[in-house]
Amino acid sequence: MKEAKTVGWRTSRCTGGVRDVKRSSERARLRWLRASGHTVEMTGAVPHRADGRRLHGAASVVAALLGSLCLLFFVVPIAQLVAGSGGAGARRLFSDAELRSALWLTALTATSAVILGVAGGTPLAYLLARQRFRGRAVLAAVIDLPLLIPHPVAGIALLLLLGRESALGRSALALGLRVVGSPIGIVAAMLFVAAPLYISAAHEAFARVDTRYESVARTLGDPLWRVFRRVTLPLSMRGLIAAAVVMWARSVSEFGAIVVLTYNPKVASVLSYDRFTSFGLGEALPVAAVLVMLALVPLILLRALRPDR
Amino acid sequence: MIEVTGLHAQVGDFVLSDVTFTVPQGSYGVVIGPAGSGKTTLLETIAGIIPQRGGRLRLAGAGGEARDAAGIPPERRRIGFVYQLGYLFPHLSVAENIAYGASEPAAASEVASRLGAAELRGRAIRGLSGGERQLVAIARAIASRPDVLLLDEPFSALDPRRRVRVRREVRTMHREWGMTVLQVTHDFTEAGLLGDVAILLDGGRVLQSGRPEQVFREPASPYIAEFLGAENVFAGEARVLSDEAPDWVHGETEALSRGHRAIEFRAGPLTLYTVGDASSGAGHAVIRAEEVMLSLVPHPTSARNQFAGRVSEIAAVGALTRATIDIAGVPLVAALTTRSAQELGLLPGQQVFASFKAMAVHLC
Repeated sequence: MKEAKTVGWRTSRCTGGVRDVKRSSERARLRWLRASGHTVEMTGAVPHRADGRRLHGAASVVAALLGSLCLLFFVVPIAQLVAGSGGAGARRLFSDAELRSALWLTALTATSAVILGVAGGTPLAYLLARQRFRGRAVLAAVIDLPLLIPHPVAGIALLLLLGRESALGRSALALGLRVVGSPIGIVAAMLFVAAPLYISAAHEAFARVDTRYESVARTLGDPLWRVFRRVTLPLSMRGLIAAAVVMWARSVSEFGAIVVLTYNPKVASVLSYDRFTSFGLGEALPVAAVLVMLALVPLILLRALRPDR
Repeated sequence: MIEVTGLHAQVGDFVLSDVTFTVPQGSYGVVIGPAGSGKTTLLETIAGIIPQRGGRLRLAGAGGEARDAAGIPPERRRIGFVYQLGYLFPHLSVAENIAYGASEPAAASEVASRLGAAELRGRAIRGLSGGERQLVAIARAIASRPDVLLLDEPFSALDPRRRVRVRREVRTMHREWGMTVLQVTHDFTEAGLLGDVAILLDGGRVLQSGRPEQVFREPASPYIAEFLGAENVFAGEARVLSDEAPDWVHGETEALSRGHRAIEFRAGPLTLYTVGDASSGAGHAVIRAEEVMLSLVPHPTSARNQFAGRVSEIAAVGALTRATIDIAGVPLVAALTTRSAQELGLLPGQQVFASFKAMAVHLC
């Protein structure tokens, strides 16, 4: 299953990690590929001359045309949405209380999911980056699993675990905690689908820290946990924050798993779907435009966290 | 003290096996070996960074009792470690790096100023040159006042002036504080200058260890001799002369009295005379170029080995000149000061006499 998500990456100047990729556009794309759960394999250095050779004649025209079409396919729908309904969406923020409360709920639940994901995922990411043990590959595959299953299926699986019929759900209810149909369900769905992205990116952030820094710190008298606090964590902090931002963005955009567990109260993605099915495109557009504009926030944050800045 | 007995460690496919040597308390050991011989792995194993798979490793500080290091984590071994690339913590300042393991800031400042790193305190790590990084890394390791200091080519990126100063200062602090030092180097001059003990490593094994001058003068094999830069290594046949001291061994009688024997060694057209404990049979003779003297006329010397030949090549490198003498088709290299070479008026094709003492010939 993992092979299905493996992407070969050829670049003129790269045999190593993301930081070795010279061009910032390539680096950004590589990060997004990784952040979206792909395993990217560096396929090795291609001689610069061969790779950089200009395509000539008809080939370059066709390539430019295909590239432009692809770009337009990404840009046009989003631009159209924002241009056509961005203003209305912004006004709705003031007039539409349901939209405001959906956005607030989305931010709150996504942040809660990120806090839980960071607390539980960081030790796992560190373990995967630093230790070689039997079953490591299995553990990595298990962590990647939620990325590979359709999100409504993830919701159904969570429903089986946390629903009213399950032992866990019944115990939670007995304690006064309702999972399904509550913000807890939303957090659970977000955590399930987005935490693997955090773990994978945090793993990469830890792996980028040369272990010799840690070795030197240990010879200077620091036990492992203090080395982690004084050396590993500061050196990987930028990558960890980027990983958390990616997880937050993924949580905010989640729909499939949330809709199975908690339709009401509505998060922003469920609200836009609800407006579309109940009132048609006209009502859904301003909400959708607000969501697109909000998606720019983590995008800008990620750009600001670029390691070479 | 570093006492290593039958040490075994493994990193990937590379195996460090049966490594045995001792660097006595307060001594300076140097590890020499070709690239990939396991020098860094050896240091990392002593530091506890790489797990020890077998053998025994004992460490001790000044006045302390030697203790078995197996199972003791790096942070409790009281060691300092300097990698060739420094590995300074990039998120900390130079001053914070130096003070990282120091028990008190004053100690860190003292070490920094003694090594000449104090002027770098305000600089960012990313802006330091390779040499400056090494300097700060050395200061950081010493500032923690370790019992044992492990240095992996620590002076390689320093400019020559700074290298002399830092080397001298490290040596001084090592003596003052009784630190035991083990340093990896590629520089034979450095090994000779600094080392009390030289350990020659190849393929994860110790080929030879002992006092540097002994290792350089009496290499255990022709491979070691060539690795250590001995230009004159001849294959041939040794024959032990009679037990009675022959009449030519004036000056070598002391060696003979220690049980050594007078030996004749034939290598092609050359017949060499030496004193040693080798037995008759095939072997190699090693003569360091510095031991070969040149003269324009037969020299009235006590040196037993004297040959007439012609200069085939002269190479002057700064204050030293290496002259290759062709003796009946066999090249013999002599090292002399460039001034001596000029005084002799050495020219290619010129006839000269090369001489060296019996004690300068080492059989292995």
